Amino acid sequence: MIDAIKNRAISIRRVFAGRKVAALGAIWLCIVLVAAVFAPWVAPFDPLEIDPVARLTEPGAPYLFGTDHFGRDTFSRALHGARMAILIGVGSVLIALILGGLVGMLSAYFTKLGHVLMRAVDVLMAFPALLLALVLMTLLERSVANTIIVIGLVYAATTSRILFGMTLKLKNDVFIDAARCSGAGHFSLLFRHILPNLLSPLLVQATFIFAFAQLQAAALDFLGLGLPPEVPSWGNMLSEERIYITRAPWLLLFPGLLIIFSVFSVNLVGDAMRDSLDPRFKDDIAGV
Amino acid sequence: MLSYFIKRVLAFIPTLIAASMLIFLFIHLIPGDPAAVLLGDTATPEDIAALTRELGLDEPIWRQYIHWFGGVIQGDLGQSLFFKTPVLSVIADGAETSLLLALMTMTWIVIFGVPIGILSATHHGTWIDQLTSGFAIFFASIPTFWLGLYLILFFAVGLGWFPSSGFPSISDDGGWRNLRYLLLPSLTLAAPNAALIIRLVRSSMLDVAKEDHVRTAKAKGLSPAKIAIKHVFRNALIAVAAAFGFTFAALISEAVVTETVFSLPGVGRLVVQSILRRDYPVIQGVILIIVLLYLSINLIVDLAYGWLDPRVSLQ
Amino acid sequence: MKVRSMFRVAVLAAAFGFGAAPAMADGMLRYATVGEPPSLDQHVLTSDLATTIAHHMFEGLYTFNAANAPVNLLAKGDSVSDDGKTITISLRDDVTFHDGQAMTSADVVASMQRWGEHGSRGPLLFGNVESIEASGDHEITIKMSAPFGPWKNLLAFINGGPAIYPASVMEGATKEPITPEQYIGTGPFKFSEWEPNRHVELVRFDEYASPEGEPDGYGGARKAEFDSIRFMPVPDVGTRVAGLQAGDYDYAESIPGDLYAEMEADANVKTILNGGPIFGLVFMNSKEGPLKDNFALRRAIQTAIDKTPALQVAIGPEGLWRANGSFLPEGNVWYTDSGADHFSKGDAEASKTMAAEAGYEGDPIKFMVSTNYPFHYDKAIVYTKQLAAAGFNIDLQVYDWATLIEKRAQPDQWDLFFTHHGFVPDPILISVMNDDYPGWWTTAEKADLKAKFTASSDPAERQAIWGEIQALIYDQVPTMKTGDVYTYNIASPKLNGLGDATLIWPHFWNVSK
Repeated sequence: MIDAIKNRAISIRRVFAGRKVAALGAIWLCIVLVAAVFAPWVAPFDPLEIDPVARLTEPGAPYLFGTDHFGRDTFSRALHGARMAILIGVGSVLIALILGGLVGMLSAYFTKLGHVLMRAVDVLMAFPALLLALVLMTLLERSVANTIIVIGLVYAATTSRILFGMTLKLKNDVFIDAARCSGAGHFSLLFRHILPNLLSPLLVQATFIFAFAQLQAAALDFLGLGLPPEVPSWGNMLSEERIYITRAPWLLLFPGLLIIFSVFSVNLVGDAMRDSLDPRFKDDIAGV
Repeated sequence: MLSYFIKRVLAFIPTLIAASMLIFLFIHLIPGDPAAVLLGDTATPEDIAALTRELGLDEPIWRQYIHWFGGVIQGDLGQSLFFKTPVLSVIADGAETSLLLALMTMTWIVIFGVPIGILSATHHGTWIDQLTSGFAIFFASIPTFWLGLYLILFFAVGLGWFPSSGFPSISDDGGWRNLRYLLLPSLTLAAPNAALIIRLVRSSMLDVAKEDHVRTAKAKGLSPAKIAIKHVFRNALIAVAAAFGFTFAALISEAVVTETVFSLPGVGRLVVQSILRRDYPVIQGVILIIVLLYLSINLIVDLAYGWLDPRVSLQ
Repeated sequence: MKVRSMFRVAVLAAAFGFGAAPAMADGMLRYATVGEPPSLDQHVLTSDLATTIAHHMFEGLYTFNAANAPVNLLAKGDSVSDDGKTITISLRDDVTFHDGQAMTSADVVASMQRWGEHGSRGPLLFGNVESIEASGDHEITIKMSAPFGPWKNLLAFINGGPAIYPASVMEGATKEPITPEQYIGTGPFKFSEWEPNRHVELVRFDEYASPEGEPDGYGGARKAEFDSIRFMPVPDVGTRVAGLQAGDYDYAESIPGDLYAEMEADANVKTILNGGPIFGLVFMNSKEGPLKDNFALRRAIQTAIDKTPALQVAIGPEGLWRANGSFLPEGNVWYTDSGADHFSKGDAEASKTMAAEAGYEGDPIKFMVSTNYPFHYDKAIVYTKQLAAAGFNIDLQVYDWATLIEKRAQPDQWDLFFTHHGFVPDPILISVMNDDYPGWWTTAEKADLKAKFTASSDPAERQAIWGEIQALIYDQVPTMKTGDVYTYNIASPKLNGLGDATLIWPHFWNVSK
């Protein structure tokens, strides 16, 4: 059993072999992660400190990325924005995978329950992702937690579909039958035998949700329905300063490039991992 | 086979009804008072209460729902609170823009996505393959509004090649030439969505290439290019056609951001503006129609699959 | 791929014929608005956007000249009896409505009555009106219970004011706005179509009978040069700017201050200042909560705030804002510095002491603001910081505008909220003077001064009383003025006849391309 898991699991070396760009992406993500963790200590300024005298200063010392129309330091805000990016990514991935994963697996395993649950998922899936997020965010208040919950929920529906399909494929596999015959209960079958085999595809799915969540959150910020405006996130920085595209181009360039690099990196890593997946599951994973 | 068709069609109706309830509930839980928005700054509380009564917004929510859904069945989506005209005609005004934008975006996706997908499948594993999928992923990683802002800046303001924003109807002066207003928006929208199609064309071509009839063709000594086009691509087309269906429906709603950036009078921007105005009937109507479109395309794709591949309907 | 795709774009673009001149003929003016108004009915709506469109097709008896003084428009002349209680207005007899009917005193009386009963600003005047009737085919007589000083200003102010509609349209009209089919006025342009989400279109009214005299502000001769005007909603400000620079619009409204220098320097853009400044207001809750009648605490809050940095952050270049404590701007007859030394103290220490004396113990103060107006939000952020520095516990609540105006109607939901006010010709029209306006400022001192203010028709006396009212506002702090903001619009340099500044709303008669 353990060997089987090992064989199906993703080895870092295999994923990045011959994929230098994906490896670069992974390195970039590590940098973002470090920035996110140490932002309060690394950032040269308070990201919320207003200074009317220094407003719209060009990049240079001491403002590495220049300042915005409040006179706040864009570099410090970008560092704190990395925090938000990681928080939103990890948060919505956890919600999507745990909620969607449970619904999908249980639905596939218990057929009758599945009928009910998957119909509910069908209803949610009938709403295009951005539209659903838009309506839910209007209904709830703008906050970090709500943004994460809404994006997580939207992708939970997709994830449950995928997990449903994959669990169905495994359910009647020989090794599951063997475990069932040797007296394993439902819980043990689901979480000790089926789930470990799905961990790798789940990980790949997680990377894609992470990437989508960034773009989705930025789009919500742009429409004025995402994180509260006072939170320094890359999306808010773009949205709040978008009229300065010619007056102070750095305000759109830096946060925009940060989003693009980060999403691109996550997608590259995800793409590389998908290619080393069990062929049975490869096409189940959505993503770019 | 027939029972499969009937089963799928019957499953469609409860999903739609459940979705309509969900829409109604969501919309009415949104804070904000449409009567207060309509009357503006100097309205007195009595004015607001009177208008609320007049609009029927003081009734219990289930009764409002029944009233609304009763109308929907008869093709009446109600009156826009803001425009005071039938919701259906407000949506119809936006539909022209949205459909043309989606069609034009699909055109770009086909023009760029399909050849690139074929290219990377036929050069599977080489640097060409890596480069093209790298590009595809890159374009899928750009926030659409950011791309849109820069396209306007360079191509409309800087070079003056295309109009920056707005879209006069094609029935207006200028006729079909007004489509040039949709060039930049459709490119903006195509960039992230082309990646999906490139990947799909590539992987379905690779799958089909492994199948028996292709191996036979190879054995017969057909040239690789001929095999790629004649056998592989044609078969892969079925999978891709299905994906186009979903993409098309998704484009209509994803266009929310693009339509906002380019100030296009489509249904996407209509939703955003209607949310700000708390124009419940319009929000409900637009979402219901998009959901209906989504589900219908879903259904058609499923049925087409069942018809093309009888194994599906036996599952 | 990038190069090739650009090449393809270029080829396809050529196929679509982008090189050709824009299809719109020179006879059309394309105006990029911030959004769409809910209606164009001037009686019941006070939206500036609605008036910007509507004052091209609806006219009142009077309008304003460049000095903001009322002048004749549909009226020919008037006389007021010695006791100030009887006003006789004679009407021009050459005016026709867009539907071809001639305008008579019956139309004017019907319009005035509907406005007086259901209009936004009508009851202010009609509280003193005993009767209004036609005293001839082209003459009306208004009988008042007491003299009412600002009557002519009110009749001239078309925003929420008495536009003259045909009597047939006024039949049965109530608070509910009239519908587009009923948009029949006497102006140089007439209503053509309203395509939701796309545009409102007005076309030239060929039978228009213009008032006489040199154009002066909104007064004097009016000539429609354009065949049509399209008001197109372009809510995103960046798109309005880019669209005007790219030549897709001829006129775009409400441009951020920070872009002013850039717009001035751009040869493809003409900047037009808006004449009357707008001003932000932070209202305080006089009905419920910790600020209810604790005027000392309100003064402590007022003292903590320095308005200048907020204006710098929110607006940008000096010259587009003025840290002015008078409710009406310098140069205006209503300008007064009475009480204004309390306008922008920015003294955290003094504020702390005052708050302690007022019994403030750190209870949260709910401050509502909307992001739909960036300058509200920007200023609120600065104020929140300043108030925190003075020891106030501010709970900043950010909503969209629709939610904010629902919440502000509920006294238990807020302590402070941010809004702004447009330029008005008479202080009686400022929202804080209205007892029903959220904030509900209804002290005995206010009622007393307000009664005196409306009863007098002597300009000097009224100005003096207004000074007292403004001093009272700084003492009881029902609202805090946040300073004057001079907004500006941008236009294509091809437009002829635009002044350097608008009076209140832009107008496009006597303008051509």
